[in-house]
Amino acid sequence: MRAFFDTLLASLRAPNLRYADIRRTVTSEQHVRVRNGEVDTLASTVDRAAGVRVLVGNGWGFAATSDVSEESIRAAARRALEVAAASHIATTQTVVLSDVDAYTAAWASKFDVDPWSIPLDRKIDHLLAATEPMRSDPRIHQVSGDLSAYRQEKTFASTAGSFIAQTTTEVGAGIEALAIDDGEFQRRTYPNPFGGDYQAGGWEIIEALDLPGNAPRVRDEALALLAAPKAPAGRFDLVVGSSQLALQVHESCGHPTELDRAMGLEISLAGGSFLQPAMLGNFRYGSELVNIVADATVPGAIGSFAFDDDGVPAQRFHLIENGMFVGYLTGRDTAPFIGRSSNGTVRAESASRIPIIRMTNINLDPGATPLEELIATTKRGIFVDTNKSWSIDDLRLNFQFGCEVAYEIENGRLGRMLKNPLYTGTTPEFWRSCDAVGDAASWRIWGLPNCGKGDPMQTMRVAHGAPVARFRNVEMS
Amino acid sequence: MRDERASFDVLDRALRLAGADEADAVFASTDHNISRFANSSVHQNMSELSAWLKLRVVVNGAVGTAATTSFDDDELARTAELAREAAKHSGALPGFRGLYRDGEPLPNVVTFDAGAAAIAPAGKARDLRTMFDRGREHGVLFAGSYATGASSIACANTHGVRRYATLTACDATVIALRGDASGYATAIDRGPLDVLALGDEATLKATLCEGRNETLPPGAYDVILEPPCTAEVLEWMNMITFSGQSFEDGSSFFVDNVGKQLLGANFTVADDAVDPNFLPFPFDLEGMPKRRVALIENGVVRTPVVDKVYADRLGLPPTANGWSLGGGEHGTVFHGSVAGGEATREELIRSTKLGIWVTRFNYVNGLLEPKTALMTGTTRDGTFLVRDGEVVARLPNLRWTQSMVEAFSAIDGLTRDRRRVGAWYNAFGGTIAPVLKVGGWRFSS
Repeated sequence: MRAFFDTLLASLRAPNLRYADIRRTVTSEQHVRVRNGEVDTLASTVDRAAGVRVLVGNGWGFAATSDVSEESIRAAARRALEVAAASHIATTQTVVLSDVDAYTAAWASKFDVDPWSIPLDRKIDHLLAATEPMRSDPRIHQVSGDLSAYRQEKTFASTAGSFIAQTTTEVGAGIEALAIDDGEFQRRTYPNPFGGDYQAGGWEIIEALDLPGNAPRVRDEALALLAAPKAPAGRFDLVVGSSQLALQVHESCGHPTELDRAMGLEISLAGGSFLQPAMLGNFRYGSELVNIVADATVPGAIGSFAFDDDGVPAQRFHLIENGMFVGYLTGRDTAPFIGRSSNGTVRAESASRIPIIRMTNINLDPGATPLEELIATTKRGIFVDTNKSWSIDDLRLNFQFGCEVAYEIENGRLGRMLKNPLYTGTTPEFWRSCDAVGDAASWRIWGLPNCGKGDPMQTMRVAHGAPVARFRNVEMS
Repeated sequence: MRDERASFDVLDRALRLAGADEADAVFASTDHNISRFANSSVHQNMSELSAWLKLRVVVNGAVGTAATTSFDDDELARTAELAREAAKHSGALPGFRGLYRDGEPLPNVVTFDAGAAAIAPAGKARDLRTMFDRGREHGVLFAGSYATGASSIACANTHGVRRYATLTACDATVIALRGDASGYATAIDRGPLDVLALGDEATLKATLCEGRNETLPPGAYDVILEPPCTAEVLEWMNMITFSGQSFEDGSSFFVDNVGKQLLGANFTVADDAVDPNFLPFPFDLEGMPKRRVALIENGVVRTPVVDKVYADRLGLPPTANGWSLGGGEHGTVFHGSVAGGEATREELIRSTKLGIWVTRFNYVNGLLEPKTALMTGTTRDGTFLVRDGEVVARLPNLRWTQSMVEAFSAIDGLTRDRRRVGAWYNAFGGTIAPVLKVGGWRFSS
C-alpha cells in the first residue's frame, strides 16, 4: 500500500500545493443487545473508506470514497484538488501549519483475547446471565444488556514523508434496569449508561466488568429509587462520583479547551468556548487542587493512539495545572494561532471524514484524599453518581447535570438514597469550589464512544479518568 | 448516486446470497458536498461519494443484520454469512409475522431536483463569498455550513417488494456574529437554497436591539419559539415519546394515554413524508409506502411510530417508520410536522405583555423525566425581551427546564407560516413547524 500512497501523493499537481495526505480505514463493529430475555440486536458492520486531503494555497480540499479501489482513490484525489480550488474562492484566512517530522511506524492497541474470537453464543449467554437476575420483581419493566466490539485499521501517508499504520481494538459492555411503579420511572445502569463502559482491549475487559455480579445491586437500586425521596433543591456541598465527574470533565473542560472551538471554527454547530487564547496562563479555571491533563498515551483507554491524523505523535500535557488554564488541544493548522506546535489531537471518525481536534483521554489527576475521609469531612452534603442527563451552553459555561442516584451526607456519613438529583452551575465557579480530590484508589478511566462534533457529525471515541471529588456550595434544583 | 439498475443489481445479489427464510436489504449511494465556514472564510470543504448495503435475514423467526460498504459477490456472501450467524443465535421475535409483503403503490411525490444535484463546490463558494462580502458591509462575520447532496435509495425483499427513489437535499445554517451578539438562520429544501437570504436573516437577528441589553430574573415567562426550537424538542420526543421502543418499555407518556386529550387542542404533530411542501419521500426502508400518521391530533394522543417488527409485537397498525432494518428505536419520526395556526409572528409578539422571543435552543437534553417529557437546554444566537408587544432588548443566553407535556398544553398561538429545519442524523426529512407562543416557560438562570 505504501508504494501506491507514495505514488499518488507524488502525482498530485496543483500550483502552490503545500500539503497532502491519504488515509484508508477499515472499521469493523459488532453489537449484541439483549432485552427482557430476548436478543434485541445482533448486528455487524464493516465500513471501508479512503480520504485525500490537500492544502493548496490557503484552501483546504478533502474528498472521500467508500470504494477503496486504487482507481477510486485516485479519483478522490482529483476531486480534493477541485474542492481546494473552490475553497480558494471563499477563503480569506491564512493557513499556517506547525512542523511535523516524518515517521514510519506501525502500532496496535493490546488485547489478551480477540473479541471477535468469542462465539456469539457465549456473548449472548453472558448478557442473559447478567440481565435475567434483574427480572425477579414485577416492577422491573425492562432489563437490557449491551456488548460491543470495535476495531479500526488505519493507514496514513503524507507529503511530510510519513507512513503510519495503526489498529485499535476496543470493547464495551453494560447492563440496565428500568423500574416503573405508580407513574414513577427510574433507570439504573452498570457500569455506565448508554451501553456501559468502553476500553481498549479484548474479552478479558468484558469479564473483568463482572456484569452478572453487579446485576442484583442494579436491580435493587432501581427498585429503591422508586420509593426514594426527591433530591432537595438548594445549595449543598456536592460529592461527585468518578463516572459522573468524568462527564463533567468532558463537557466543561474537554470541549472548551479545543482550540478550534475557541477560534470560532465550530461555532455553527457545537459552539465556541469561554476559554479564549488571551486567558492562557493567567486564568484561574479551578482551585489549586484541580489538575487536568490530556494524555493520548494511557494504555487501555479508548482515547489512546500512537499518532493523530496529522501524523503527530500522541502526547501528554496539562490543560489545567494547579487550577490555572495552561493548554489547549491543538492540531497543525490551529496551534500556530497561539504560537505553539501541534500537540497531536486531530482525529477523524474514519477516512471518510476531515480530521478535526478531538479529545484524547482528558483526565482529572487524583489528589490525596481517600473517599472515606472525603465523606467523613462533609458535614451536610449530597453524593451523586452515574449520569442521567447533560446539558451545557454553547460557550461551555452554564451547565446542568442529572444523575441516576444520590445519597444524603449528614455529619460525615452517607444517609438516605435520593432520586432525580439535578445540579447546575457555571464552569469556573464550579471547579474553583473544589476543595477535595479523591486519591488514586477512587480514580478510574471511563470510555465514551459517542462524542459528537463536526459537520457532517463525527462520533469519536474518547476517555476520561476521574477520582471522586467534592465541590462546595453547589446549586441543586 | 447509482441508477435503478445498478442499485437493484447489488440488492438482488445480496438477497440471492442471503440463504434465509426471508430477507430484505437497503442499498444507498450518496454524492455529498459540504462547505463549512467561520470568520467569513471557508475552512473545511469536502466531497464524499459513499455507498452502503444493509442486509437483514430472518431464520426461524429470528433476525440478524449485517452491513458493508463493498459489494462484490465475495463480500456480499460474507455479509450474508454474518447476518445468518446473528439470526441463528437470536431467538424468534415475539409476534413477528414476517417481512412486509403487500407491495402497495407508492405515493407520487417529487424527491429530486436536478438544479440541486448540479450545484458544484465552486458555485457554492461564489455564493458564500458574496454573503461574506455583504456581511462585512454590516460589520458582521459569518459561520456555518452549506451542504448539498444527491442520493439514491433502494430497498427490496424476498417477497418481491422493490423500491427505488432518488433524492436531493440542500441544507444550510448561517450564524452572523457582531461583537458579542449573534443571529441565526437555517433552511433545508429538496431544491437550491437562497444562502444570501439566510445571511440577511441572520444579520438582522445579530444586529436587532443593538446596544440594548437587559436581564431577567429566573421564573416562568411567555415564550415565542422559532421553528428550530420546536425541531430540537421534537428530536428528543422522537426518542422518549414517539418511538416504538419507548412505548414498549413504558417510558413514553403515550403509554396508557392513547386516545386521551393530554395536550392542548391547538397542538397537532404528525409524521408526514407526503406533504409536497415539506421534504417528501415515498417509502420507509422496509418498503412500506409513506402516509401521513398523526401522532398527536388536536391534543389527543394517537399512536407511536413503529417498524414492522414492533407493529406486530405491539399489535399496532404499521406506520411505515422502519428506518434501520431492526434494532434502533423500532420506529423513528423522520418527517415531524407540527400543524400551523392562524397568526403571524408579529401578532404573537404584539400580544405578549412580558415574554422572551427565542431563535434557537442549544444542547437540549430530554432524559430528565421522560414521563412528563421534562427537558433542559439553553437559548442561543438571538434571545430577545418582549415588553408590551414590542421587541425591546437583547437578553443573554438563558437556561430553561420545562415539561413538554405542560408546554404543549399551554400554547397561546401558532403562526400560519411554517418552516423546514434539518437534523444531522436525518437524511430523509427533518421537521416543519410554525412559530409557537407558549405560556409559562420555566427559566432557571
